[in-house]
Amino acid sequence: MSVLRARYFDGHRSTAHDVSVLVGGGTLKVVGRDVDLRFDPRRVRVAPRVADAPRWIYLPGGGACAIADNDAVDALVREGRFAPFLHRIEARPAYAALALALVVATLWALIDRGVPAAAEQVALRIPPAAETVLGRETLAAFDRYWMQPSALPQSRQAMLRAEFETLAASAGGGPPHRLEFRSSPVIGPNAFALPAGIIVITDQLIALAHSDAEVLAVLAHELGHVAHRHVMRRLLQGSATALVIAGVTGDVTSTTSLAASAPVLLLQARYSRDFEREADRYGIDLLRKAGIPPRNFAVILERLEASAAAHRGGGVPGFLASHPPTEEREALAREAAQH
Amino acid sequence: MAEGESASPARTLRPEFTGSGAEYFRVWIVNLLFSLLTLGIYSAWAKVRKKKYLYGSTRLDGDTFDYFARPEAILKGRIVAVAAFVAYALAGELYPESRYAFWGLAALAAPWFIVRAFIFNARNSAWRGLRFHFTGTPGEAARVFLGRLAVTALTMGLAYPWYAARQKRFVLSNHAFGASRFGCDLSTRSFFGLYLRAGLMQIALLVPAGALAFFAIWALRSHQSLAMLAIALPAVAVYSAYAVVYGYVQARSANLMWNSAYGPGLRFSSTLEAKKLIAIYFGNIVAVACSAGLLIPWAVVRTLKYRLSCFAVLVEQEVVHEADPGFARVGATGQELGDFFNLDLGL
Repeated sequence: MSVLRARYFDGHRSTAHDVSVLVGGGTLKVVGRDVDLRFDPRRVRVAPRVADAPRWIYLPGGGACAIADNDAVDALVREGRFAPFLHRIEARPAYAALALALVVATLWALIDRGVPAAAEQVALRIPPAAETVLGRETLAAFDRYWMQPSALPQSRQAMLRAEFETLAASAGGGPPHRLEFRSSPVIGPNAFALPAGIIVITDQLIALAHSDAEVLAVLAHELGHVAHRHVMRRLLQGSATALVIAGVTGDVTSTTSLAASAPVLLLQARYSRDFEREADRYGIDLLRKAGIPPRNFAVILERLEASAAAHRGGGVPGFLASHPPTEEREALAREAAQH
Repeated sequence: MAEGESASPARTLRPEFTGSGAEYFRVWIVNLLFSLLTLGIYSAWAKVRKKKYLYGSTRLDGDTFDYFARPEAILKGRIVAVAAFVAYALAGELYPESRYAFWGLAALAAPWFIVRAFIFNARNSAWRGLRFHFTGTPGEAARVFLGRLAVTALTMGLAYPWYAARQKRFVLSNHAFGASRFGCDLSTRSFFGLYLRAGLMQIALLVPAGALAFFAIWALRSHQSLAMLAIALPAVAVYSAYAVVYGYVQARSANLMWNSAYGPGLRFSSTLEAKKLIAIYFGNIVAVACSAGLLIPWAVVRTLKYRLSCFAVLVEQEVVHEADPGFARVGATGQELGDFFNLDLGL
């Protein structure tokens, strides 16, 4: 028979009783100064062990005992396989180190591979029509704050539009898209894809280009964003990553969990660079199909970079940038030009 | 409530945390691994286990606390919360107007899930074999959280201290240990003083922070390589100012609340120092950011240890507390929704 020292509570009153728990002979006895109880051990529930916190034993009828000697309780009860296993790995620093390595690896795999792959699968299954409202709202917001109507003559717009459609036609028309001309001294020479296949190009970019082929090279790249559903994927990836972070940081106050999410911003920038590369490949492929030398893309990129540099004098370091380094992209376009 | 002789308590009970950051880290990391490997399903079991560790390592008058929520209930709540979050995020991006409908719905449902969250947490926490209770109703919660919030909005926020005080009083005075109800005569006036000081502090900190931000942007505008600094510096300055005021309000409001709280035969004492709490928060932020979140367990334990060390139960009269005979089982959906949408309901 084993004897364990315990604190007994009857579940009705807050009085604590120092007792002995005796196990053996098919009964579990709780005996103290004014306590003398017997229970069927099969009806007694033992809480799983967590570190070395006193172990709770729940008795039939609502009473409970707290026992400090965890090892003695372990020697007496079998509580399945998983609970003791869990305690064993939590108790040893070596296992904690292993768990740490596995957590880092799993998180990396999840955020770097799992989330983008899942987002892509889901995005490709959402009909583009679902983005209509979002596209309208986003364009309206850009128009309100940063853009004015284009100063290009209608005839010039119509010409570029027609050339772009011819280009898209060489990819079977490409994904559903809509080209919008705007002027924006604030944004400067730029083109970007918005939800619902809206592609915006600024007068400033058209002015910077030396030929229509260069303008088309940029538009081919933007069409790549549309074809690969990058807007929807970015949205899905953002939410999914936020979910993962919320799961990991679940137990700190919001001020601190904000700090924990700082590394994610770096990851978001990486996602963004991956998208740019994907759009680059699509664009170059499209140019080649349409018989426009991909070199035009390299040339306009270089000029864009030079103009941006003149504007601000330098560049953000590569790992922070949302675009891949221009040298890398020019190399890609030049390499494509040789084939 | 005890009569008379509130001058010197018969006994002062100080809670004590017997665990350690290293020990909690091991529990945390192992359970995090299982949560990740099961794509979040195990996180409900992990949550219970982490709470069991923290409760089981907190000792008051020789006995530890116990937490016995069923992980299945938490899992169910989490599934509902995740579904709501995904629906909100997606619908909000695709149809921005749907956000208003969502927030309207959330505001209407909030009193219900706030109350359920408190009930779930209280019912599943025990000390000396007695469960805690929460007796507030969704109707009262609606009055406190929605009605008074509306008044606060109407007064352009001037009534906020009154709202905060009533909210704290509602939460505390509806809690019970077994059948022993807690009470709280938190004065609204003390909260006006507190928030006035906090507001002045915020202005005093934000003006230099804003000036620094302006200066940084101006000084660095022509140095492209330092552009990141021009963005980071003001953000850090504003974030720090916010953290200072947050820590100050946390410390002072907890003191005001607990020092005006009572139960049968007992009173409480809270002596948090704003300076120390702010220092702890800053340490936490830096440690958590620099370790990509790995030092979260250390931050949790360190904060808990400090908070417990400043807390005391003053026993004025030995009272045997009895269990509440009623028993209502509630799900964890309210709590999980609150957790997910970052509702700060903490005491």
